[in-house]
Amino acid sequence: MATRFSNWLDARTGWRNVWDGIFLRKVPKVNWLYTLGSASLFIVVNQVVTGILLTIYYVPTPDHAYDSVQYITTQVALGWLIRGLHHWGASAMVVLVFLHMLRVIFLGSYKFPREVTWFSGVVLFLVVIGFGFTGYLLPWDEKAYWATTVGTQIAGTPPLIGDLALRILRGGEELTAMTLARFFGIHIWVLPAILLGLVGLHVYLVIKHGISTTPKREENSHE
Amino acid sequence: MSEEFKLSRRKFLEKVTVGIGGVLTALFGIPAAIFVVKPVLKKDESSGWMRLGSISKVTPGTPTLFSLKVERETGWITDQDEIMVYVYTEDGRDYAVMSNICTHLACRVRWIEERQEFFCPCHNGVYDKQGTVLAGPPPRPLDRYEFNIENDDIYIKVG
Repeated sequence: MATRFSNWLDARTGWRNVWDGIFLRKVPKVNWLYTLGSASLFIVVNQVVTGILLTIYYVPTPDHAYDSVQYITTQVALGWLIRGLHHWGASAMVVLVFLHMLRVIFLGSYKFPREVTWFSGVVLFLVVIGFGFTGYLLPWDEKAYWATTVGTQIAGTPPLIGDLALRILRGGEELTAMTLARFFGIHIWVLPAILLGLVGLHVYLVIKHGISTTPKREENSHE
Repeated sequence: MSEEFKLSRRKFLEKVTVGIGGVLTALFGIPAAIFVVKPVLKKDESSGWMRLGSISKVTPGTPTLFSLKVERETGWITDQDEIMVYVYTEDGRDYAVMSNICTHLACRVRWIEERQEFFCPCHNGVYDKQGTVLAGPPPRPLDRYEFNIENDDIYIKVG
């Protein structure tokens, strides 16, 4: 029955080709550092799932943001777990993508033909930083408020464009409900759209090119 | 022999991959379901006997509207909710205490003095002064509250 159904589906979607392309790739003999990308991808899934769940109770206005977060943490069943996974997942994400980047640099994986994979990874890293920056404000506690005050103030320091940059980030001159609302919008709509698109490209390229091998020292090359 | 071994190892790894995927889906899915569903199972209305008002305000023969402020906790917000109740008596001895919530789809009914009927504007439900259905889609009479009259005051059981 299951086989008949999977045959029926394969005849119409060709899913087995996709499945084999993802899971039956030839993988060179590499070390555990090569799992950092997969680990980052897993955290992406974690952040997407827990982030979507949090929006069911979270309300991004100054009147409700702090109380709704407290409500999630202390009243909602498993709210502490969902918020905790999102909170710690965010930190783990920054650490993992940074280590992943170091691995790619030091083992030379960014070289031909993987330059586009590298470029998309660079943008992905910036997107992750953007997630961290916008997400930090959302609990709307003292730490969030003042961290964002400082962070947006830094955007205001360059000459000529600084003032405009600060106003665009804050949605005005001061850090207000406007700031909270736009940080929320950026955090749950703008950045996820960019992230998921680039992750798709990034993973497609990894599968297309295969995993790079560890660099080998060639005989005679240092003479 | 070696062919057979390779095949079984591949099958094994495939099963492990699918298995890990299933476990991870469950690890996310079950807490997610609890997170979404469990808070809605909590009763959020304050309950118990509450004073509705003075019985002397009820004019015999005409349903009289009373309103009652009830404290309601929804999530992290506590606010006041108003319950509207019609009290009707024919003779000043037997009382009917009716909810103003239409039994069809929970719109609010109102007493129309000229027609001597309760009317629900959503789907034209009509009830008589005792709350019995006269016309339209309501499946049953207006809901009644349990009540108690002490001295001059009428109390109803909320929740």
